[in-house]
Amino acid sequence: MTRTSRRVLLTVLAGLLLTMAAPVQAKDLLVFAAASLRNAAEDIGKAYEASGAGKVTYSFAASSDLAKQIENGAPAALYISADTKWMDYLADRKLIVTDSRRDLLGNRLVLIAPADSKLAIKLAAGAPLAQSLGDGKLAMADPDSVPAGRYGKAALESLALWSSVEPAVVRAKDVRATLVFVERGEAAAGIVYATDAMISKKVRIVDEFPESSHPKIVYPVALIAGQDDAAAHAFYDYLVGPKARGVFLDYGFSIIGAGAATN
Amino acid sequence: MLQPTDLELEAIRLSLRVAFWSVACSLPVAIAVAWLLARTRFPGKILLDGLVHLPLVVPPVVVGFLLLVLFGRRGPIGGWLYDTFGITIIFTWKGAALAAAVMAFPLMVRAIRLSLEAVDRRLEAAARTLGARRFDVFMTITLPLMTPGILAGVVLAFARSLGEFGATITFVSNIPGETRTIPVAIYTLTQTPDGDVGALRLSIIAVILALIALVASELLARRVNARITG
Repeated sequence: MTRTSRRVLLTVLAGLLLTMAAPVQAKDLLVFAAASLRNAAEDIGKAYEASGAGKVTYSFAASSDLAKQIENGAPAALYISADTKWMDYLADRKLIVTDSRRDLLGNRLVLIAPADSKLAIKLAAGAPLAQSLGDGKLAMADPDSVPAGRYGKAALESLALWSSVEPAVVRAKDVRATLVFVERGEAAAGIVYATDAMISKKVRIVDEFPESSHPKIVYPVALIAGQDDAAAHAFYDYLVGPKARGVFLDYGFSIIGAGAATN
Repeated sequence: MLQPTDLELEAIRLSLRVAFWSVACSLPVAIAVAWLLARTRFPGKILLDGLVHLPLVVPPVVVGFLLLVLFGRRGPIGGWLYDTFGITIIFTWKGAALAAAVMAFPLMVRAIRLSLEAVDRRLEAAARTLGARRFDVFMTITLPLMTPGILAGVVLAFARSLGEFGATITFVSNIPGETRTIPVAIYTLTQTPDGDVGALRLSIIAVILALIALVASELLARRVNARITG
């Protein structure tokens, strides 16, 4: 090995070592949050960092994905799920700090279509949704596991529409992947949260699902057992406090729980 | 524990079909591209080389998104295919095969190119002096000598196609019986409470299929080598 190539190799190795060391030094707070929270949570994270309280790193994915990762030892300090089921899943396995669990946010479920689409339908029992779709697809998050998909399936079932539209259903990885399929016009319609529809100019809301047609949409938050250090508690308090609440409201979420109001 | 459910069997059948068509359709293209890279000189060759290898280094989700943009019904290629032939690629198993083919393409081209570069060009020259036309030389001398590389490329690409996940779920999503291949089914099971047993079972099947493919390629290559040299 020549001297130059040895030097190159050493530099590369030193670089690798540095990148491995970096996360440990910085001690970032890792927050796992449902994909639908991305924009709001990122804004809150930025504001939190700007206040000098510390750095927050997010991982956004389907709540089901995140819960499974936490179960397998992912070093998250905080978890915000898009339904109670996946929070229960972690609670059953004693992976969350029990008294830190609280219902943080609410949301609404909507049917969207590409902005230039002419799709119009009133979501009621027996509505001709399958006919309106024609040979187009209905995108939704996986109805067997991902919260947005499960709410969607429940709503379609209670409106007696599920069996007729199921063949047209395209199962996306999470609610934001659903949004992309509709934004690009590849799916004729999609089921997402009202908050997702609001951040995209390329889709429009066709109709809102009746609140009674699906289980109440609730975003519970909790600290993860064994990861609840002072930094985690500090961000938790910020998240349930008035500043974060303002951001969540701006993005169209509703605030639930009397606890949030007292902060 | 070892008995796969119907859903899992469906995923296995679908994966085999997707991988078969992925390899069958990309093989002629891969041979042509390997030929261009190994035997010709033209401006921009280095660019073509880079382009072919791109799927090895670009995140699969990027490949999936580009396929969505190009081959979606509103994409330039997908739209044309639909308007002209009524073919829909997106959200169908054909799209899954396309995603698998793109991701496996570099592996196939590499193996074929190496075998092409190893072909003794004096044999081709001899055939030419004996009056064979270029095309005949390729079909009767070059192609048979490349066989080990082609087989290795085919099997590697087949195994890679069986394992394609990132580009697939981004481009054609996760539709049972249509685009839910083995990796996508495993992903779905890992998302489901109590899905671990099924995920493990399918993972074992995926490993076994990949191993069979790799061993088969090795055995085939050896047999062909023995025939050529011995």
